[in-house]
Amino acid sequence: MTLKNWGRWEIAKLREVHKMANKPKVAICWLGSCGGCDETVVDLNEALLQVADAIDIVIWPVAMDFKYHHIEEMKDGEILLSIINGHVRNSEQEEIAKLLRRKSQLVLAFGACACFGGTPGLANFRTKEDIFNWVYRDAPTVVNPNGIYPQPKVQIDGNELTLPEFYERVYALNQVIDVDFYLPGCPPPPDLVANAINAVLEDKLPRKGSTLAPHKPLCDTCPRNGTKPERLAIKDIKRVHEVEADPNTCFLAQGILCLGPAIRTGCGEACININIPCRGCFGPVEGVADCGAKFVSSLASILDAEGEREVKEVVDTIDDLAGYLYRFTLPISNLKRRNKDG
Amino acid sequence: MSEYEPKLVCFSCKFGWGYLSDEDALSRQIKNWIPIICSGKIDATHVVDAFKKGADGVLILGCPEGECHYQDGNFEAMKRVHLLQKVLGAFGIEEERVRIELSIDPEGKRIPQLVKEMSDDIKKLGPLGNSEIEGGA
Repeated sequence: MTLKNWGRWEIAKLREVHKMANKPKVAICWLGSCGGCDETVVDLNEALLQVADAIDIVIWPVAMDFKYHHIEEMKDGEILLSIINGHVRNSEQEEIAKLLRRKSQLVLAFGACACFGGTPGLANFRTKEDIFNWVYRDAPTVVNPNGIYPQPKVQIDGNELTLPEFYERVYALNQVIDVDFYLPGCPPPPDLVANAINAVLEDKLPRKGSTLAPHKPLCDTCPRNGTKPERLAIKDIKRVHEVEADPNTCFLAQGILCLGPAIRTGCGEACININIPCRGCFGPVEGVADCGAKFVSSLASILDAEGEREVKEVVDTIDDLAGYLYRFTLPISNLKRRNKDG
Repeated sequence: MSEYEPKLVCFSCKFGWGYLSDEDALSRQIKNWIPIICSGKIDATHVVDAFKKGADGVLILGCPEGECHYQDGNFEAMKRVHLLQKVLGAFGIEEERVRIELSIDPEGKRIPQLVKEMSDDIKKLGPLGNSEIEGGA
């Protein structure tokens, strides 16, 4: 029984199972998020109405009016599933993540930010100090003659005003709370979202810690796979805006960096289909912890250079290699930034 | 800091390095020495794993260029090292912390010497540590 095929009879049956008044409670919540992950839930379209009929949504800040104290008043474990998207970078996000963890039986890290830190995780290449200096002092559009920086607490007319504390780095959700399942993507595609919700409602979940997406790398399902030559050999590396990429040929065969060999498939090849190479929002393929390092090995093997000097020359031409490799996964990388002062 | 002894991991290809040596005796001299079959076996993730587990530097010893038993494993390893060095730079990690030497030394006498040389160089850089400050969370 898949979500899309649910008719009135199935829904009625499900209601019976959950005794009508006792529908499973589900939380959908964002932390450091752009809203795209919530949008993909909305993209379930009519299926969303069926879902909404089968479950009781207890919080969904982007779409419905609930307050956090409603959650605080619930019993521990009262929520069946919390679908949490976004990364953790401040004390408010941490607090909400921990609150939902306490109240939920299952937590699903939803989207690249929750699973790996996501694009905002690229900020981990910089210190908090660098970021504050740029945003509140050095950026050309900033006028801040008194050098005022945001503070977690400030006294105004005898009243204390507070702001969440901005942390030193971006965290993936599982670096802050225990996570049961992962659904990556930027955002996760609606078919995998529907499968995940079905799996929870029908109690057909895989073992804890699983990623609810295929295990294979993107290259395996890429429509351009057939155009890949038997032995890939690229002499120089181009960026996607520097050339007009052929819309049917393997990007790597054209010398354009594409993370397909190291990244999990399941995205529906959304980027490939609009002639953009894979940037890695589905994170490392099953069994790999650090997809950036893995792709280094993959890229090395297809670099067609003679001798060390030529290798160095090609490597020198690549702009921001680390930024490309860790575009969505820097916070979970096995490498950590080293401060210059040690 | 003067007493600081860097932790090094040394991978060496058995086809070119120390195959005539008494491996037991040599491994007592060199901490974290891992003889392997072909330097091409060393994936960038192995080097990154070594750093994660506390290594301050990784030394890879492969066969001379053009003399790989498996055609070009040593050259593959060298390409990986150069790419990885570029990635490390973005993390503020000095490229000297990964070194590859393509040469031959059947008796393996140069292995402890090369480890010592690299260790001395890394001493000047200080420990790699994990200095990303864990604020909050």
